Parts: sequence; C-alpha cells; structure tokens
Amino acid sequence: MSALAFVSGSFVREHLRTPVTMVMLAAIPVFFVLIFASVLGQFAGALGGTLAGGAASAISAGWAAAFLCGSLAFFQVSSSRGADRRLASAGMGAGRVALARITAAVALGVAVSATAYLTLWARSGIAHPAHAAAAILAFAFIYIGIGALIGAFVSGALEGSLLVVLVFSVDVFSGPAMTSTGGLLAYGPTRDAAKLLIAAGTGQGSPGGEWAAVTATVAAALAAAFGAFWLAARSRT
Amino acid sequence: MLSRSQAATIMGFREQLRRPLLLILLVVVPAYVITRSIATTQATPHLIGLPGGTMIITTMKALHGAVMAGTAIAFVAGLCGVFVMQSALSGDRRLVIAGFHPGEMVLARLAVLGSDVALVLGVSLAVTALYFTPASWLQFTGAAALIGVIYGLLGALCGAVLDKLSATYLILFAVMTDLGIVQNPMFGNGTPGRWAVLMPGYGPVRVMVGGAYSPHFDAGGELLLSLAWAAALGIGVYIVLRRAVAVTSSSARAPASE
Repeated sequence: MSALAFVSGSFVREHLRTPVTMVMLAAIPVFFVLIFASVLGQFAGALGGTLAGGAASAISAGWAAAFLCGSLAFFQVSSSRGADRRLASAGMGAGRVALARITAAVALGVAVSATAYLTLWARSGIAHPAHAAAAILAFAFIYIGIGALIGAFVSGALEGSLLVVLVFSVDVFSGPAMTSTGGLLAYGPTRDAAKLLIAAGTGQGSPGGEWAAVTATVAAALAAAFGAFWLAARSRT
Repeated sequence: MLSRSQAATIMGFREQLRRPLLLILLVVVPAYVITRSIATTQATPHLIGLPGGTMIITTMKALHGAVMAGTAIAFVAGLCGVFVMQSALSGDRRLVIAGFHPGEMVLARLAVLGSDVALVLGVSLAVTALYFTPASWLQFTGAAALIGVIYGLLGALCGAVLDKLSATYLILFAVMTDLGIVQNPMFGNGTPGRWAVLMPGYGPVRVMVGGAYSPHFDAGGELLLSLAWAAALGIGVYIVLRRAVAVTSSSARAPASE
C-alpha cells in the first residue's frame, strides 16, 4: 500500500515539476470563473440560451476543471506508456500501476476543482455549496475518463490534444442553457453535471434522477480511465 | 539529387501523411467549431467599432461568422506549432549528429508547420464562406493567415521551451484569452479595450473585422503591428529551435536522448 502511495505521489510530482504547469493549474480556473463567466451570459444570449449571473459563474468553474483534467489525463496516458510498462514489468503489475495513475489523476482533479470552487465562492458566494462541489468534481472526473480514453487509443500528442479540444467544444456548445437548439447534439457528457451546477449556482435543488445520472456517468468515466491506464501499462508480450 | 533541406522537408511531410487521423482532425475541428457556432447564433443586433473609428450595427450571427474562423485557426495552428516543435526536439538532433545543418532542420519543420496552417486556413475560410461573405476577401484572408502564422509560431515557441502539458495549457489559454475574449467584438461595447493592443491577436483581428465589414482598407497600423509580431516570433522560433537541435561537442559524444 505504501509503495502504491509512493508511486501515486511520484506521478503527481511528475506533472507539477514544471512551474508553468503549476501556474496554469492555478490560473486557468481563476480565469474561467472571473473573466470567462463575465462574458458567458452575453455569449449564451447570442446563442439563444438563458445562462446568466450565478449560473454562468458556476458552470465556468465546472468547465475549468473539465478543460484542465481532460488534457492532463490524456498526457498521463500518452506520455507515460513506456515508463508505466517498465514499472509493471518490474513487479508492480499493470493493475497497480493503473491504480496509482488514477489516484494521481483524481488527486490533481480534486486540486483543480478546489481552486475553481474557492474562486467561485470568493467571487459570488455559492447558494448550494455541497451540490456545487460535487458537480465541479463530476466535471473533473468525467474529463479524466475522456482524456484517458483518448490517450489509450490515440498515440500522437497533437491528434489527442485536438480530440480533447473537439470533445470539449462539442460539450460546451451542447450544455444546458447554452443554446436554444435541442436534438442529439444537446447530449454532451457533462450535461447532467452542468444541470446540477447551474441549479447549485442559482440556489435550487436538483431531482434524484439527475444525481443518479451524474453518479453513473462519473463511475463509467473513472472505470474507463482505469481501463485506459491498465491498457497503457500492460506488457505487449 | 535532393539537397539536405529538401530531403528534411520531404521527410517531415511524409511523417505528416503517415498520420491520417491528424489530417482528418485538421479538417474536422475547425469545420465543426465554425459551423456549430455560426449555426446556433441568433441574429440579434450588436454595435461594433471598425478600424478607423467607424461604428456599425451588425448581428451577432454575422459577427460570429466574421470572427470564429480566426479563433478556430488560432487554436489549431497553436497546437500544431507546439507539437511540430516537440517532434523536432525529439528527432532532429539525431539528424544533426548525422550531418544535417541545424538551420536546415528548423526550416524543414517550419515548412511542415506552414502546410498545417495552410490546410486549417483553407478549411476555415471555405466553411466560413458558406455562412458569411466578407466585404473584402483579400483583407479577410490575409488577416486569417496572419492569425495562423502568429499563433503557429507562438505555439512553436511554447513547444520549444516548455514540456507538452505546459505548452498545451499555455497556448490554449492564450487563444481563449486573446482571441476568445479580449479582441472579440461580440463582447462589451464591440471595440477592444485599451490594453488589447499589447496582445498578439490585436492587429490581425482588427484587420479581419475591417475586411469583414468594409471594402476599404483602414487598418494600416494594425497590419504593420501584425507583421512585426509575425517577424519577431519567426526570428525567435528560428533562434530557439536552432539552439535546441544544435550539437555541441559534449552532446555529440553523449547518446541522443528521447
């Protein structure tokens, strides 16, 4: 267990060793919540949506967590494949390497979400603090799954980054209260988490069905991330 | 008989052609982002300022058509810049050890980056043409190309000095802040604020907005500023990358690292 904790800690440090990454992990949530949220109401209005005020600030915090965690998880898989296979072959096993990776990804996701949450709280207060925290974490964990899945199947860093950006764009445009259009494109991966976050930002509760949908999506995303980390770490022989 | 520069450039293009997913994404990402954003935007009226001080009333839908191509080009060109240079750092030093000149390798990589930017530019303008007709295609296309060059080079600079994750975050953050918000006439009073001039997107976006709505060219200062950014970044990338792939006597003795 201590070996697992040590390796997980090493994986976290691996991403935090670059000062620019540290600055970005702190600055991007602040940027989303303070700057992006201020124009988001106008942007959603142009798209025919109704997002504004506390809801716009709240959803910005979720997108910040999603944006950072998607890229982070993608690079965790794509850049570390060789090292993870060596670790697995050296006796740690692909399952434990995957567990260490997902522990590190979740720890970084929690840190990023906490920054976004605290910025949101400092900016405008949060009507439903516990609901908002859960929803922001859901955004982070769902994108850990998406980024890791892309990393498992796409080896090129440019291709993977473009795919993460594409999924993020589709998701943002199809978010609830963003546009007046419905249809199939209205079902992005974070749709239910966004509904929870918008409700939390405006002081409303959310129905049990939405909580169940978010829980199921997060569980599926983390299971997919574990699978992706395991696939990347297992030996090819 | 091919020169070494030609051989390095051809190798770079072959590497790109062996990645069909990349070529698909270079088409799909800008096409989707531009189509979706214009198609979903409402035709609500909005006042904007053109270069030269003229104020006009347009619609949010038309304005999104005018500026979204620039934002999409900057996102994709920036990421291409980051990873074309990351790829250069990992492989080109070996070729330099094998006898290639560092300058030849840098120019070959810049040629590959230029072709990626040209592809994204062509796709973005073709998709934009389906929804929006600028008053001056020449001015609009030139400005879009300048956005691609400036952000491609900025990405290349980030890719040459930072690791993959930091460079990716930084370039996406820069595009979102600069083109997505600060220069975007869809927000605020439709004219960029006083500090917007300090950012690389100011010049080309102003030229682009001018070309979108006016057949006359009133953005001489903004064009010069854009060219200055492009030249400075081009020189910066050449120097940084040339140093990065150059082989010193000590590194030549050491095995080439990953």
